[in-house]
Amino acid sequence: MERERMVEELSKIVGKENVLSSETDLFLYGYDASLFKAKPDCILFPGSTEEVSQIVKFCHREHIPVIARGSGTNLSGGTIPTRGGIILHFSRMNKILEIDIENQRAVVEPGLFTLALKNQLARYGFVYQPDPASEKVSTFGGNFAENSGGPHCLKYGVTTNHILGAEVVLPDGEVIQVGGKALDNPGYDLTGLLVGSEGTLGIATQLTLRIMPKSEAVKTMLAIYNSLEDAGRTVSAIIADGIVPATLEILDKLTIKAVEESVHAGFPLDAEAVLLIEIDGLKDGMERLAERIMEICRKNNAREVKSAKTEAERTQLWAGRKGAFGALSRLRPNYLVCDGTVPRTKLPEVLVQVMEVSKKYGLTIANVFHAGDGNLHPLILFDERDEEELRKVHLAGSEIMKLCADAGGTISGEHGIGTEKMKEMFFIFSPQDIAAMRKVKKAFDPEDICNPGKILPEVQA
Amino acid sequence: MSRIEKLIPKLKEIVGETNLIQDPEKLKACSVDGKRPKVVVFPGTIAEVSKVVAYANEQSLTILPMGNGTKMGIGTIPGKMDVVLSTLRLNRMTDCDCDNLTLSAESGITLGEVQKKLGQEGKGYFLPLDPPHTLKATLGGIVATNSSGPGRLIYGTARDLIIGIKAVFPNGDIVASGGKTVKNVSGYDMCKLLIGSYGTLGILCEITFKLLPLPEREATLLLPFVRLEEAAQFGREILQSQYLPSSIEILNGMAVKKINPPIAQQGNYLVAIGLEGVAESIERQVSEIGERAKKKSALEIAVLRSESHSSFWKAIRDFSEGLAEEGLNFISFKSNILISRCGEVMGSYEKIAKESGVDCGLICHSGNGILYSYVFGGKGVRSKKESLLNLIREFSLVAVKNEGHPVVESAPPDIKKRIDVWGEPRGDYEIMRRLKKEIDPKGILNPGRFAGGI
Repeated sequence: MERERMVEELSKIVGKENVLSSETDLFLYGYDASLFKAKPDCILFPGSTEEVSQIVKFCHREHIPVIARGSGTNLSGGTIPTRGGIILHFSRMNKILEIDIENQRAVVEPGLFTLALKNQLARYGFVYQPDPASEKVSTFGGNFAENSGGPHCLKYGVTTNHILGAEVVLPDGEVIQVGGKALDNPGYDLTGLLVGSEGTLGIATQLTLRIMPKSEAVKTMLAIYNSLEDAGRTVSAIIADGIVPATLEILDKLTIKAVEESVHAGFPLDAEAVLLIEIDGLKDGMERLAERIMEICRKNNAREVKSAKTEAERTQLWAGRKGAFGALSRLRPNYLVCDGTVPRTKLPEVLVQVMEVSKKYGLTIANVFHAGDGNLHPLILFDERDEEELRKVHLAGSEIMKLCADAGGTISGEHGIGTEKMKEMFFIFSPQDIAAMRKVKKAFDPEDICNPGKILPEVQA
Repeated sequence: MSRIEKLIPKLKEIVGETNLIQDPEKLKACSVDGKRPKVVVFPGTIAEVSKVVAYANEQSLTILPMGNGTKMGIGTIPGKMDVVLSTLRLNRMTDCDCDNLTLSAESGITLGEVQKKLGQEGKGYFLPLDPPHTLKATLGGIVATNSSGPGRLIYGTARDLIIGIKAVFPNGDIVASGGKTVKNVSGYDMCKLLIGSYGTLGILCEITFKLLPLPEREATLLLPFVRLEEAAQFGREILQSQYLPSSIEILNGMAVKKINPPIAQQGNYLVAIGLEGVAESIERQVSEIGERAKKKSALEIAVLRSESHSSFWKAIRDFSEGLAEEGLNFISFKSNILISRCGEVMGSYEKIAKESGVDCGLICHSGNGILYSYVFGGKGVRSKKESLLNLIREFSLVAVKNEGHPVVESAPPDIKKRIDVWGEPRGDYEIMRRLKKEIDPKGILNPGRFAGGI
């Protein structure tokens, strides 16, 4: 279909003022937080489920790809319009529809920012647990599509454990409700299947979330190391001791330096690594548990362990963690975040291997990651204008995924496959595994309308 | 010779002569809703499961997967029932990695055995699921039916605890999803699709779970109340507080009588609060929650520890086994409802049961909005068919009004015949049927027994 006619038809659905199609606009909505770029045909800002449904019906009829997106904070090229098509931007559908304290649920629209809900919940003493580092702008639609994690997911689980239902526009435009406020609905757990499906099976237009009362007490500690491996070893030891804190985050020397230059979290510049530890729950027994953890840190050669004495100190430590990616991006024009995840027992050896990859390719790699989950985030710093360097970055990234897979781990812990890691799916899945996933895609989207060309590599027959 | 008999030699070749049952008398033990399979096979490896399934698919034989059979009564009465595939020889713990807090085990092992072994590992670990049939339930059966227990309040259910599944799909493919990392977004979350899929999409063969160390201390508070509203209100109050109980159960008087817990005030509504965790926090919750209950007119405050604590929770989990041992005919329901409405729904169910002239035991995971109801009336269950059908309809209406769906988990076949045991159809059944069709085009896996006619 000609673009002009397409824009005209779609304008009838959402209104002219909610369509963008200038060359600049097409460029601006053709990239996300990954390294990929492509050009959509137009960008729409629907205002209701009904409009989304009509748009998708149109796309289905005309065989035009449709890609839903929010702020584009995903790191895997999940929202890149690789085959052109329509970008559905959810910034107009950004309301909190209901905060239902007595049932411990919230119902939100997909364009709502994560932190915006949290700020409202705080008034009731309630929390939504998942805390992606980009929560200031990451949307619930994006969290749903990517099954986002975050530092506190160690104890509380990732997005999928906190989304209980959704209103979904299927690839043929039909609107269905999956899950709901009540748990255990009969039938397949479609909510669980849809979370993390990266917009390839349908588009969420409403989400039902689990919310819970805020913890009574929280204690935040910082252990300082002269070796990154020792920090990794501490994490393995804490988990092996049967302790599951709320958070176990590691930042390495390069990250510390970048963070100190930008947000001044108070991390010592001469340390090789710091380990940020948080425990929460009832205040009783917390000091004893903290002491047990600190003892494990010391046994694993922490040179110092301190705890935040005030809420301000705690906020400062967290500012250091949450601002880490941003701080690192000041060092070089680009970064690639790997997302490989390993069993927690393998952390120390895999960290060493990652640093070997860095040496091998002569690339700068910073490490800031959810250590307690075994979820590494080696950040490879580079300049994409240097083609040779870019080539090495892709090789190094793939090699890191391979070594995670070989350690019994996986290629993505929380960022998704998107366009970035399709090739590497074979590091962990057999052709049969992929074929089973293709059947799921086919059941939902036989015409390949929703976010085509993502996640699933072609399987040789 | 019937068609199936011609196919037996090949099945024997796959699983071995001794791992196949054809004797009609022995087949009786595997009957479902009074129907017998034609043959039972006991594959010993995942590769054998794959071969059996691939062969059945080729020959269009239907397969019902089965462990110890504790859940076989759930679901529509089976139609064609050729092969029962028993998982009981798949009973190994394949990777017990307590340092990583994960366990991989085959589907035919019982949870009871897993817990026993984990308890002896290092400082002591457990798999945080506490579903019914403490001793008999196998991992496969628990996961296939998404079975859970009171502890789900704090530990979650299978969907929160499972990080990897290896299953045999209807075409015989061995399909792995997830792995042994606690976070994983590589590809579709096929684990979620398989959990609670009642054997209709794949045969679960090996499952990887998250583990936890055994809690330092455990205790139970038993708090009887005269009025249901008081009990429900108290449960809600604790749920909305910052306390962290592992379970908040509400039982009606009939359920209390059957369980016979060590309290003086039997026959009232009972709030049972399970506490597991760090010693100091348990002691504080025992005393503070107890104090609060006293102020809210609880009749007494009983604290159970060690042996009496564990046997109380076992009796809750195994309530239906208790009824069966008494020789009672009963109909059981699982209703999922809004958590704030547990009290109202329990009240409505009691009223409906009373009007139907039957007894009704109610056990509610009140913090999760999951209500189990057991309707019994001795021989009455059979003779009162019409009024029971009416009761089922009324239970259903009440649950739907509270945003839930009641599922009839067990009932005599002549009642099951007249109802949809899965309750009112939902709007998402059509896409479920498409999934089933794509994955199992010949409809060989447990056909026709699941929600939406799947």
